[in-house]
Amino acid sequence: MTIGYKIKKAIIYICMIVLALACLLPFLLMMVNATRSGSEIVTSFTLIPSTHLKENWETVFSFFNLFKGMWNSLVVAVPATLLGAYFSALTAYGLAMYKFKGNKLLFMVILIFMMIPGQLSLIGFYNLCTKLKLVNSYIPLIVPAIAAPGTVFFLRQYVLSALPPSLIEAARIDGAKELYSFHRIALPIMSPGIATMAIMGFIGNWNNYLLPMIILNKNEKFTLPVMMATLKASTDINSNQGAIYLAVAISVIPILIVFCFCSKYIISSISAGSVKG
Amino acid sequence: MKLKKLMALAMAGVMTLSLAACGDTAAPAASDAPAAEPAASEAPAADGEEAAAPAAGETDWSQYAGEKLVVWTLANDLIDFGERFQEQTGVEVETVVIEPANYPTKVQTALLAGETEPDIIVGEPQMLQDMYDAGFFADLDQFGAQDYADQIVDYIWQVGQSSDGVQRAISYQITPAGFYYRRDIAQEVFGTEDPDEIGKLFADYPTILETAKTLKAAGYRIFASDSELSFFSGDSAWVIDGKLNVSESRLAYMDLVVELYQQDLTAYAAQWSTPWYQAMSGPVPILTAETQWGTDDMNIWDAESFNAATEGMETTEVFAFGLPSWGVLTMRDNVGETSGKWGVCAGPAYGFSGGTYIGVSSYSEKQELGWEFVKFCTLNEDTANWWIEYSEGDTVSLLPVLEAHKDDENAVYGGQKLYAFWLEQAEGLDYSKVTKYDTAIGDAWGAAISNIKTGAMSKEDAIDEFYDQIEATYAGEITVER
Repeated sequence: MTIGYKIKKAIIYICMIVLALACLLPFLLMMVNATRSGSEIVTSFTLIPSTHLKENWETVFSFFNLFKGMWNSLVVAVPATLLGAYFSALTAYGLAMYKFKGNKLLFMVILIFMMIPGQLSLIGFYNLCTKLKLVNSYIPLIVPAIAAPGTVFFLRQYVLSALPPSLIEAARIDGAKELYSFHRIALPIMSPGIATMAIMGFIGNWNNYLLPMIILNKNEKFTLPVMMATLKASTDINSNQGAIYLAVAISVIPILIVFCFCSKYIISSISAGSVKG
Repeated sequence: MKLKKLMALAMAGVMTLSLAACGDTAAPAASDAPAAEPAASEAPAADGEEAAAPAAGETDWSQYAGEKLVVWTLANDLIDFGERFQEQTGVEVETVVIEPANYPTKVQTALLAGETEPDIIVGEPQMLQDMYDAGFFADLDQFGAQDYADQIVDYIWQVGQSSDGVQRAISYQITPAGFYYRRDIAQEVFGTEDPDEIGKLFADYPTILETAKTLKAAGYRIFASDSELSFFSGDSAWVIDGKLNVSESRLAYMDLVVELYQQDLTAYAAQWSTPWYQAMSGPVPILTAETQWGTDDMNIWDAESFNAATEGMETTEVFAFGLPSWGVLTMRDNVGETSGKWGVCAGPAYGFSGGTYIGVSSYSEKQELGWEFVKFCTLNEDTANWWIEYSEGDTVSLLPVLEAHKDDENAVYGGQKLYAFWLEQAEGLDYSKVTKYDTAIGDAWGAAISNIKTGAMSKEDAIDEFYDQIEATYAGEITVER
């Protein structure tokens, strides 16, 4: 416990506190602004909450039912994330573990598809949905999430580095079926990587705006981002400022929960390994 | 070797598929378009009698019982219109509000796929031309829209027409621009607060410069920033017969903006920023050309930092704001204690900005009912009167109603008769000077001006660059004569 050690520690703590404050301030501001009126927000600044929470709440709910939007977003984001994570893991496992003709080619095709922006096929996709009578349904938002080239790419690299083939070979010798060894051996080992991608996927699906905006035509089916965007459609942007802040503040709650829930996986994924001792 | 062949095959396959997909998207749109015609041609005889007495009560609504109209809009106003329509007619209206930035994408995607869902679509002036060209708006003339031509302010009628002269959309509001000025400051500096007299101080660009200097000498600033002039940037067309037209007035406008900036004649409060709003209700600190976008310890978008950093700085009051007629509502909500001390006068040129134009989708299966809705929102005196009251001062486009309200006094603006004023401004607008290139060319011209005023370029270089840019962007479309 020398003085030098204490000084070092103090500096580190100060840096951490400053960093933490810098990260938290925008959130705090968002919460405070959620309680203020539009004209207060544009003309002055304070960290002291004001008294307009109720009005903002009423403004938001006069436009739409925010909780309905949250529910809609959950109905889309949860299945899309789970499907995306599971099938990407399956694909990545297959690409990394099995040697077959065209493996490299398939992988390259996946890489190429990663580079095509989704917006390009928007009109064609909408057309397809009209023909399949899927406009105004969540299916076009959920099912395509199964094919997530980015996640497959990430998980393939993850499997190559974290899962030694000898583990699976050992299971095979003991008589395990292929799917069984994927579910019981590969999946647990891959779980930190899957969790990381699932968080990304969930945030992506939760915040997804363009596709739901195009596909959904009914107010009661709108997901949260589409609903919140309509707040901006007022004639004078100003008057809804507080309401927008409130809606955003409420909408980040699920993301915060998911992050708290999965963050330990993210941290453990940094130092993951399977063959011990 | 084998792999390469396989790759080539795969790529070729992907390409063919994507081409096929493209062909597919185009086909239904084309084949669905004529489908709209039959619905149109059965415009009933009832239409004729409505033309004579266009009141909501006259239409036989029972024929539409059980039908539902779907409205896709980008402004909340139509929610209220929809509810009122439903109340009065019993026809269900479903209004879907879409964020303005993505509205064109949404409508385009849906209508190109032949979607019959939206019956009513809307557009702002800058989007309309593209939407007309794509054939999204149904022809309203087939329902007898032209019978109403003399009831709507002229320029609104023209904005609602596609290039072939067919009426496709109508707006319920007019949006001409004017200068909102402080009557108390006018009285003190110029000895009068009469809108006509003050209008003379804004009559042309050199006069505005003189006015600005007088105001600065008296301790005030003429504008929050030079962008207040943007709605009055010139009264000639940018493109005439395929030729770029940079008129004298454009150059005079450029000189004025540069002078205002370089001689510190404005308060440098950017439009829609904190000090801009503050300037509506009282004194603001004087920023300079260097500090107008904030400094290391002052953020103009953040009021606490702004107040702390500018404490003790010299303050001034802003004389005038340049905004379209919807600014009446913005000002009213932000003027605070200066309420009643404002007046509105004409600018050096006529201008307008914004407005929601309502039309019927050409893919809708209920075009006739759609036309009833458009008529209800834009051509119905009851609705217009209700809207004036409900919006607390928005300016409608229906002439008889503007006429009836011409003596209404607005207390925020010192009892000025604003409806009469806006009507006069709207009548001065010459829509033939508006071209579809205006936004792009105007932006390029604005960029040239800001390069000159900040000293980044000489006037010759900036104008040359402007010419180059227009030539490159519209090669073959617009000829540029330097």
